[in-house]
Amino acid sequence: METSFALTGKGYVIVAADTTSARSIVKMKVDEDKIKTLSPHLLMAYSGEPGDTVQFAEYVERNIRLYQIRNIYPLRPSAAASWIRRSLAESLRSRKPYSVNLLLGGYDTATFDPHLYWIDYLGTISEVPFAAHGYGAYFALSLLDRYHDPSASLEEGLATLKRCIDEVSKRLVVSPGKYKVKIVDKDGVREVEL
Amino acid sequence: MNTFATKFSTTSAVGQLRKAQKLAAEEDEFSDAAWGSEAGFGNVAKGAPSFTVPAIPDPAAFLRLHTDDHADPSCRIKIQHGTTTLAFRFQGGVIVAVDSRATAGSYIASGTVKKVIEINPYLLGTMAGGAADCQYWETYLGMHCRLHELRNRERISVSAASKYLSNLVYSYKGMGLSMGTMICGWDKTGPAVFYVDSDGTRLKGDLFSVGSGSTFAYGVLDQGYHWDLTDAEAQELGRRSIYAAGHRDAFSGNTCNLYHVKEDGWHFIGNYDVSKMHYDGPGNVPGAPGHGYGYDIRVEGRSSANPPEASS
Amino acid sequence: MPDMVSIAQPIQQSFNPYTENGGTILAIAGADFSVIAGDTRQSEGYNIQTRYAPKVFRLTDKAVLAVNGFAADGNMFVKKVRQRLEWYRHAHAKDMPIRAIARLIQTMLYARRFFPYYVYNILGGIEEDGTGAVYSFDPVGSYEREACRAAGAAQSLVQPFLDNQIYFKNQTPAPGTSFPAHLPLQTVLSLVIDSFTSATERHIEVGDGLEIYVVVAKGSTSAQGLQNLRGVQELTATDDGERVFVVRRELKKD
Repeated sequence: METSFALTGKGYVIVAADTTSARSIVKMKVDEDKIKTLSPHLLMAYSGEPGDTVQFAEYVERNIRLYQIRNIYPLRPSAAASWIRRSLAESLRSRKPYSVNLLLGGYDTATFDPHLYWIDYLGTISEVPFAAHGYGAYFALSLLDRYHDPSASLEEGLATLKRCIDEVSKRLVVSPGKYKVKIVDKDGVREVEL
Repeated sequence: MNTFATKFSTTSAVGQLRKAQKLAAEEDEFSDAAWGSEAGFGNVAKGAPSFTVPAIPDPAAFLRLHTDDHADPSCRIKIQHGTTTLAFRFQGGVIVAVDSRATAGSYIASGTVKKVIEINPYLLGTMAGGAADCQYWETYLGMHCRLHELRNRERISVSAASKYLSNLVYSYKGMGLSMGTMICGWDKTGPAVFYVDSDGTRLKGDLFSVGSGSTFAYGVLDQGYHWDLTDAEAQELGRRSIYAAGHRDAFSGNTCNLYHVKEDGWHFIGNYDVSKMHYDGPGNVPGAPGHGYGYDIRVEGRSSANPPEASS
Repeated sequence: MPDMVSIAQPIQQSFNPYTENGGTILAIAGADFSVIAGDTRQSEGYNIQTRYAPKVFRLTDKAVLAVNGFAADGNMFVKKVRQRLEWYRHAHAKDMPIRAIARLIQTMLYARRFFPYYVYNILGGIEEDGTGAVYSFDPVGSYEREACRAAGAAQSLVQPFLDNQIYFKNQTPAPGTSFPAHLPLQTVLSLVIDSFTSATERHIEVGDGLEIYVVVAKGSTSAQGLQNLRGVQELTATDDGERVFVVRRELKKD
C-alpha cells in the first residue's frame, strides 16, 4: 500500500514516499520516485489513483515553473499550496477529477521557516507539523504525536522518520519495501539515503 | 430441502440449528437449575447453556439483518464496536490497558465501560467487539476455571484457559459472535498473554493490541517496548498508548483503565481521564512525564524556524 | 416446550419480528435511594398507539425494571423476569438481591443472543448494603452498574443533561467548594421531571404521561418528603424495610 510521510524540524522539511508502483497484486516497479521538486525550495509527494498521480504532479510542476519564469521569483510555499489546492478543488468539480493526495513541503526563504501542507484529493488543506498519507498514517500519526519535535536537528528528524518507516514495516500487512527521502531547507532540495 | 447432505452436515447453518434445537429440547426451556441458586447459568457441568434461535433456515443471516455490523447504521440492535485494548508481557509481568468508550453509531453510549474483565484473581480478559459476547463468555470461562481448580487442585494455565475460550467461540463460528480478546495472567510458566477472537484465532505472544484504535496504540507501543522495561516504565507505556489511540481514534477515548499482572495475581493500577492526560498528564504516578501527553503541550514554545543569526 | 424449529416448512423470505415503539426511560441512583422513570407514550412511526403503556415495572420491593425499545418484547421480557423472581422467592423465601437480578437479566438476554429481545433495560433499586443502584443493559445482555443512565428515543437529549447535572461534567466548582457525590431525592426528582418535560418538548416520541418509581432503602429519611408529594402512591408489598413509591405526572400530549 502506498504510504508517504513528512515532518518539519529546525529549518527543514523531510518528505518521504515509498517507491513501489503497484498494479493489482503485482509490483510493477520498485524504485519509482513519487516526490517532485516543484521549485528550488518546494517538494511534493503524491499518491493515489495510478495515472492521475503523475499527470497531476507534472501539471503542477509545469505551472509552478511557468510562474517562476514569468515572475523571476518562485511562489512561496503557502501560495503554491493554495494554488495546488485550488487546482484539485476545481478538478473535483469537473467531469473527471484527479484523485491525488499530496504532501507539500517547502522552505520559505523570506521568513526562514519550513512549511508542510497536507492536501487530499477533495481539496482539503491543512498546515501541519507532520503528516502522512495512506495506511501508514494509522501507525505513524500516534507515533509522531509522541516523538515529533518541531525544533529537532536534521539527525533527530531523520531518526523520527526512521521510527515511522520501521513501525509501518513491522505492522502493515502490505508494507512498502523502500522509501525515497528528500529534504528541503535553506540550501534547497536534496535527497538522502536513510 | 431436507437433503441427506444438510441433514448430516455439522458445519452448515442448518446443522447449527439442529444442534441448538437438540440442546433446547434437552433443557426443556427451563432446567431444574432455574429454580435454585444456579439462576441463569444452570448446571455448568452439563455444558454451555442453550440459545433460542429464530425458526428460519438461516438464523445467522437473520441476526446479521437486525444487528449492527458497523456498516449499516439503520439497523435496530446496536452492538458495541470501536475500542482500543492492549496487553503486553515484560520482565515485570503483564500490563493490560484499555479505553472506556462505547459507541452506537456516532453516539457515545457510555464513557465508563469496564473493558477489562476480571475472570479470577489471576486472569484478566479484555473486551473488544460485542460487549455482551465478551462479558458473558469470559464470565462463563471464569466458572470453568474454578471448576478446573476444584477438579485438579491447581490453577488453570493461561494457555488452557484461552484454549477453552477459543474452542468455545469456535463452536459458534458463523453464528455472529464478535469478540477480540486478550487473556492475560500469570501461571507456572510466568506471565502470559493470549489473543483469542471469534474467528477461532488463538495466538500466544508478547504484545497485542485490539480494536479500531489498535494501530494508533501500536505506533506508540512498539516504539517504546522492550522486555526489560521497569514496572513504572511499562505502566506508563500502556497508559501513553491508550492515550494515543483515544486521541487519534474517534471511537476510542474517555478514560484508560490500567492493570498490572504480577506473580501474586492482577492489580488495578488506576483510571486515567484521556483529556486530563492530554493537558496535565496522568497525575503523580510512577513513570509519569510531569506534563501533558498532548503534542501542543509537549512542544510548547519550540519553533522550527531558523532565521540566520544576523537577521534575528 | 413447543417445537421452535421446523426446517422443512416453506420459507418466508424476510422475517422481521421487530418494531420500535419510541419512548424514553431513565434511572438515577442516590446514596440510599434509586429513581427509575419512563414516559407512557407508545408509538409506531408517526402513530401514537396509546397514551398509557407503562415501561417501568416494580419487580420486588428493592428492584424496579424499566424497558424500552420494542414493546412486545419488553412486556414479554418483564413477564419472564418476574416469573424467575417468583421461583426464586419460592425456593429461597426471600427476594433476589438486585445484583443477582442484574446477572439474571444478563443471562436471560444472552440466552436470546441469536434471536435478541429488542429491548434496552435499566434496572434500579437498592443493593444489599443499602446503597442506591442503577444497572443498564444492552439488548444482548452486556451490563454495568452506573449512577445514572437514560435510554430510548430521547437518550441523546437526556443523557448529556444528566451528565452535566448528576456527574457535574464540564462544570468547575466554586473556589473552596466541591461537588456532592450524591444528590438528595428532591433534587433528583426535579431533574427527572425536567428531563422528561424537555424531552417531550423536543422529541415526538416522548410525552403523554410520566411514571417515576422511587425505591428507598431501609430506614432512609428520603421517604419522608415523599408522602406529601403530588400524585404519589406507595407500592411497598413486604416489611423488609425497603419501600417503593410511584409518582405519576402528566406530560404534554401533542
